[in-house]
Amino acid sequence: AQTTLDEWAKDPLVDPEIRAHVYSLISALGGIGDDGTYALGDDALLCLKDLRKWLKFADGQLNRRDVARCMAEANLVKGDLLEILAKMSDRVTQDKLKHKIAVACLELLVPLTWPFEIDPLEATVNHHRHGPYIQLAQIGYKRAVLQYDRARILQTAVRTALPSMAIPLRERSPRDEGLIRIALYFIRNIAMLSPPKSVPMDGDEAEISRSTLIDTFQDQDIFQVILSVASSIGDDFVTQDVVVLEVLFFLLKGIDAEKLFMEDKKLSTKNTEELKSLIQKEKSMLAGYARTAPTRHNRFGAMIWVKRGDEKISTVSGQDVLGKAQKSMEKMDSTKKWNKPKRPGRRMGDEESREEFDLPVPLQSAARKHLKAFVEEFLDSSFNPLFLHLRKAIKRETDRVETRHSRQFFYLVSWFLRAECARRRTMKTKAADPNSAEVLTAEDESYGLVAEAMNQETFILLNQFMQKSQDEKAWQDLNAGMKCFTQILLTVQDMSESALEDDQEIAENIQNRIFYEETTHDRVVNILRSYKDQGFGYLDACTELSHVFLRMLEHYSKQNLDLQIRSRRRARKKRKQQAQAQGENDEEGNVSEAEDITAAQRTVSERKFDFIRFSAKFVNQSSVNTFVSFIRFYHDLDAEQLKRAHRFFYRVAFKMEMGVLLYRIDILHLFNKMIKGPEGLDPESPAFKEWEEFVRHFFRTVVKRVQDRPELVVEMLFSKIPATMYYLEHGHDRELPTRT
Amino acid sequence: ATANAALGIDEEIKIVKKRQPIPKLDENRLLSAAGIPKLRRIGKERLRFKGKGHEYGDITRMLNMYQLWLDDLYPRAKFADGLMMIEKLGHSKRIQYMRKEWIDEGRPKPTTEVDPEE
Repeated sequence: AQTTLDEWAKDPLVDPEIRAHVYSLISALGGIGDDGTYALGDDALLCLKDLRKWLKFADGQLNRRDVARCMAEANLVKGDLLEILAKMSDRVTQDKLKHKIAVACLELLVPLTWPFEIDPLEATVNHHRHGPYIQLAQIGYKRAVLQYDRARILQTAVRTALPSMAIPLRERSPRDEGLIRIALYFIRNIAMLSPPKSVPMDGDEAEISRSTLIDTFQDQDIFQVILSVASSIGDDFVTQDVVVLEVLFFLLKGIDAEKLFMEDKKLSTKNTEELKSLIQKEKSMLAGYARTAPTRHNRFGAMIWVKRGDEKISTVSGQDVLGKAQKSMEKMDSTKKWNKPKRPGRRMGDEESREEFDLPVPLQSAARKHLKAFVEEFLDSSFNPLFLHLRKAIKRETDRVETRHSRQFFYLVSWFLRAECARRRTMKTKAADPNSAEVLTAEDESYGLVAEAMNQETFILLNQFMQKSQDEKAWQDLNAGMKCFTQILLTVQDMSESALEDDQEIAENIQNRIFYEETTHDRVVNILRSYKDQGFGYLDACTELSHVFLRMLEHYSKQNLDLQIRSRRRARKKRKQQAQAQGENDEEGNVSEAEDITAAQRTVSERKFDFIRFSAKFVNQSSVNTFVSFIRFYHDLDAEQLKRAHRFFYRVAFKMEMGVLLYRIDILHLFNKMIKGPEGLDPESPAFKEWEEFVRHFFRTVVKRVQDRPELVVEMLFSKIPATMYYLEHGHDRELPTRT
Repeated sequence: ATANAALGIDEEIKIVKKRQPIPKLDENRLLSAAGIPKLRRIGKERLRFKGKGHEYGDITRMLNMYQLWLDDLYPRAKFADGLMMIEKLGHSKRIQYMRKEWIDEGRPKPTTEVDPEE
């Protein structure tokens, strides 16, 4: 932007000397030559190395971002680096010098595209000043790389690393390892960069969308690279596992695995259905408005009195309330000006919003096809080796594994399990179709392709991970863990319905292992109970987990009546008795006794599992609150989610006869609004009927209860306290079992 | 003059107008005559249910009763907001104690206390 020395000197943002040095290096790099193409400067290689030094030392050591900003302003990436790479690309593997120059370019590109982060500990004013500019510039880099039309930039990057990849692992030098790393990180950076939420972006978002990324990966054979690295991980590649993990994560997050495997025809019908249902939704919404819309112009000026007890009168204006008593009640409420101040929700940082995986990402149909082919190949060849290797790395807490990697790991496991289940379903329907020639082989039937996600080691790691993230309140981690656990349960369920007897047996075994630990049961209950504004994605995950877990456990415990679980319980009493029996005058043992007791307080014992008692744990005030906050989103829930909530409330009100938990005005208000509006559920939607019936049924019990026990009129305002809950439900106190 | 300055007689006293405190929906208001006691009264007087077949109408009428009551008690807040505030108050010790009392009032007296002899 700034071009003259005077302007540089006045620029308050960047040190003019730095700018002068960087600009002169960039102009020395090269430019349009005699033939109209890019011509390298005489000392281009040295210039590239110098630029890298500037970026590394001036920015790195002084903890500033001046050089990066200058480079962005001077259009270094698009104007020079990509041009140079394009020139090198055809003979990059043969020509030594070209290879060197290409490497030097990549060495600049990787730090320049490295996602910009503001580290709260190290950040200076300088970072905050340059942050937005650099973030936007990086989006420009991504666009330039993806849209570059004269050469395949990503492929060139990979080709630069190819000679090093060809060398066997043992003979590779650190430099070779570095080259491989640079190429992979370049791919990751390009996949990872996304428009910052905090800064408005100009330009076409489609040019940097996921679909474009996938198309580019397909065009430039990057999928092949990922596959070959991932499938030979452990043999030819070791430390690259986390980079591949990140590439996959940023490639796949947010994409609906189910839709990916739908047949084109089915998908288009599904899409039309979605469109239809959306139009229908809109229609019913508009009809809802039209029913009470004014019939005359807006200055018609009607005003009515609402008589309310104690000889008081309220006035409401507007003709829409005429003759509609209920409408005037609503208007009296909605015209109040004061809103209860809400605590602002947690703001997401840059890193978190980048890792956000609950936002759905749409795909173009070409990209969908490419991605589907890739995912199928990945499942066939690379899923087991890669995820085995990663699991071991995470378990060992290797240096290269960072905290975000375990989250990404579990998210991807759940994603691929979902994809695999979806793929099987389409295969099955194809095979069942007499018109098609597809036949299921034994291999298709077996679940060997995802076996690494379904073994005991993974379960242990997952359990530890969930426990840890729950303890540390790392909600996004826990979210990923829950998704993974839910998906494992669903996969096991599919497996138990498999045609192969072996699979059934394995599924049985897995279920046995999952359900054996009481701590697992308790964790699921606890997560559901402890929800508190962690966001919708988390809410969806935790309600789904408890729904699926409870349903499968019920099924399983019915089949296996003698299911044993291992529970830990306090054994203080026992311990005391023992201590007494051993003799009171045992003075020396006092010191270790305290330790002994703490160790022995929790003993492990096996007992028979009682499903009724367990499911009762799910029915309490806090889990009801969680589901109520879930159903508050009823406008945005799909049929499956509405069903999930319906089952839960049905269980509370009628199966467990704990309807008293739902006797609260705010809940009644919500239910009433869902069915009777305004802005209620769409009466044409499939879930409506179920809900309508449930709410009617439930309201009837409420009316009856209130007539029986007028105390409820007051209690209706509050969450119930345990001391009076039983009485309110049953009308008499609990008879304590008397022991003889 | 110096003495006056030391005494601070000459200095003008600035009168800072205090803001009118915003009425709060708290325990005291909830327990006042317009609060729960009134709710208990109108609950007895006004709640009439039509029963089977009129579930939604019955509940709507009940909700309206609560809405008007809350509007009298604390006109500032919208219905949903007010409900949330009251629910939160219900967690306090004092209100919990009162709630227990109100329930016990309605309870049938234990039969053993009734003296069979005249």
